[in-house]
Amino acid sequence: MTPEFLAAVIDTLLPGEEALPCGTRAGLDPAAYASAHRAAFDAVAAQAGSDERFARADESARTAILNAVERALPDAFRALLVAVLSDYYEAPPVLAALGWRIDPPQPSGHAMPKLDDPTTERLERVGRRAKLWRA
Amino acid sequence: MPARHEPADVVVVGAGMGGAAFCARLSERAPKLRIVCLERGGWVDTAAMPPWRRDWQRATINDWASSPNLRLKAPTPSPSADYPIDDSATPFKPLMWSSVGGSTINWAAHFPRLHPSDFKTRTLDGVGDDWPFDYFDLEPYYDLNDAAMGVSGLAGDPAYPPKPRRAMPPLALGRLGMTAARGFDALGWHWWPVDAAINSVPHQGRAACNYCGPCQQGCVNRAKASVDVTYWPRAIANGVELRPHCIVRQVVIEAGRATAVIYRDADGREVTQPAAAVVVAGNGIGTARLLLASGLASPALGRNLMFHPAAYARGMFKEELDGPVGPIGCALYSHEFYETDERRGFKRGVHLQVTRENIPLMQALRLEPAWGRDAYRLLREEFRHSIAILVLAEDLPEAHNRVTLTDRTEADGLPGVKVEYTLSEHSRRSLAFGLDRAEDVLRAAGAHRVVRLPLAPLTGWHLLSTARMGSDPATSVTDARGRCHAVPNVLVADGSLFPTVGAVNPGSTIGALALKIADDLAKDIA
Repeated sequence: MTPEFLAAVIDTLLPGEEALPCGTRAGLDPAAYASAHRAAFDAVAAQAGSDERFARADESARTAILNAVERALPDAFRALLVAVLSDYYEAPPVLAALGWRIDPPQPSGHAMPKLDDPTTERLERVGRRAKLWRA
Repeated sequence: MPARHEPADVVVVGAGMGGAAFCARLSERAPKLRIVCLERGGWVDTAAMPPWRRDWQRATINDWASSPNLRLKAPTPSPSADYPIDDSATPFKPLMWSSVGGSTINWAAHFPRLHPSDFKTRTLDGVGDDWPFDYFDLEPYYDLNDAAMGVSGLAGDPAYPPKPRRAMPPLALGRLGMTAARGFDALGWHWWPVDAAINSVPHQGRAACNYCGPCQQGCVNRAKASVDVTYWPRAIANGVELRPHCIVRQVVIEAGRATAVIYRDADGREVTQPAAAVVVAGNGIGTARLLLASGLASPALGRNLMFHPAAYARGMFKEELDGPVGPIGCALYSHEFYETDERRGFKRGVHLQVTRENIPLMQALRLEPAWGRDAYRLLREEFRHSIAILVLAEDLPEAHNRVTLTDRTEADGLPGVKVEYTLSEHSRRSLAFGLDRAEDVLRAAGAHRVVRLPLAPLTGWHLLSTARMGSDPATSVTDARGRCHAVPNVLVADGSLFPTVGAVNPGSTIGALALKIADDLAKDIA
């Protein structure tokens, strides 16, 4: 499997849009998935005719090939997708582009807005209702 | 020759909600008893919990996944001492956690009580079975359990009989909750901030929640109550001996009495622990598995398994909402449709719960499609712009829904376990009705698009009723005091006991019930 082929698969799964980078620009290393997900990559190459043909194809053709592999080998394809998305959605450039913070949830947690007046009034209305429970 | 411990008065199997509450209460009510608790898992170290780490999101699908089957496949070992479950014959995948603290380690800590009508479904609605006692018999134990766990919430909910003032004010609803409340209000429907076993302010020596989000990866600052930090310190101070990493393989039953349990200890040795009474608290799957493996002869054992069938409706909003911030299960709920109204075409009701949203990775993984340019469009539409409403329906007891043993022997030395469950037409109708109402709310709140997940597979948290209470040994496993009909000195103290399950999370009721079982046993012994 050539580096160009592996990168083309990753960037077809994650082509990027607007501020969101494609998979390889987000820092994903295509070679890191090659051995663990060989079955999926081999199926992509076979569906395309060769590594090279997949890498040279336009995005529409590559998408059609991946769709076919996803249908034919759902478990292997899903495993590759989970691995790739796990790296992608933990990548700092992606989180930043989503407007989400890079730091983990702790120790700082998050701020939450306090109950506003309209919601407090709504809650008071509910509290004045007759009992809803039966015994 | 197996090692043999000195006899105990009571051996408890399982250190989760049921076992912990039971041990704490019994050790207070009968302080002279020698009580030993055997737990298959260990203590969970907060320093090793994922929310400290930058790769915390992937823990949700690996070592901190909610499904034991997923954790067993994870590249790194989980702190949960799991066993595989054959879940090929159930649409809802069983979820649990096995360590000191049980599933309270990674629960959402949404802490509702059952309604009074949930204890009388046969009398009131002609379905299911009545419990052998009613809400008001259990109420003092609900109050005790609330005090032990620490509850944030708000008294005055017209959906329930009056409850004592909650120990802490409600958790913040956030923009998401306030937006949903607008929808309920527009329709004139009930809603109320949840009771949560999570500190909204510092309480009982534990910190306040800082709304970090991933409660199901453990709570690193202990704001969320889990029984390893609530009941267990009390129980241990009272003299209960808790032995972690001990996997009970068998309750030894001789001439209709339990005489001991046999377990594998942390060093891999087989150990016999004689006991005058054995209390099993492994919840709906673990309890049935152990008692079936021990040859307890009871025709209802393992049967009548109930989940709370679950579905989601998710609304997309133009305005920016919170996203994956705050305790995942704890915003607000509606019991507008909890009680029976036969015009709906089914009996009993549904619980609508406004939850917090998923983390980016989980959102991305469940999109359809999950890759390519369309995935980005869907993610952008949803991320920090969505509200999910969980619909929980009330299962009714059906003997064919069950836990059975397989012919495999698993790595823990016990027989394999299989779950067989079919979603009933009743539950389907309930879920469909609930989804319609959830969509009504989301649209009333301003959603421009609503997506439905008509059946949510990874929601099998509530594993209930496989050793149900009752008076007839043909249709129940224990009496009203949790004593097995077939072997009266084997007791159950967990969610397996529920004759019916209502439509709300069971943790609060499991704790209350375990306290009652402990009191009843203490009275018997006295």
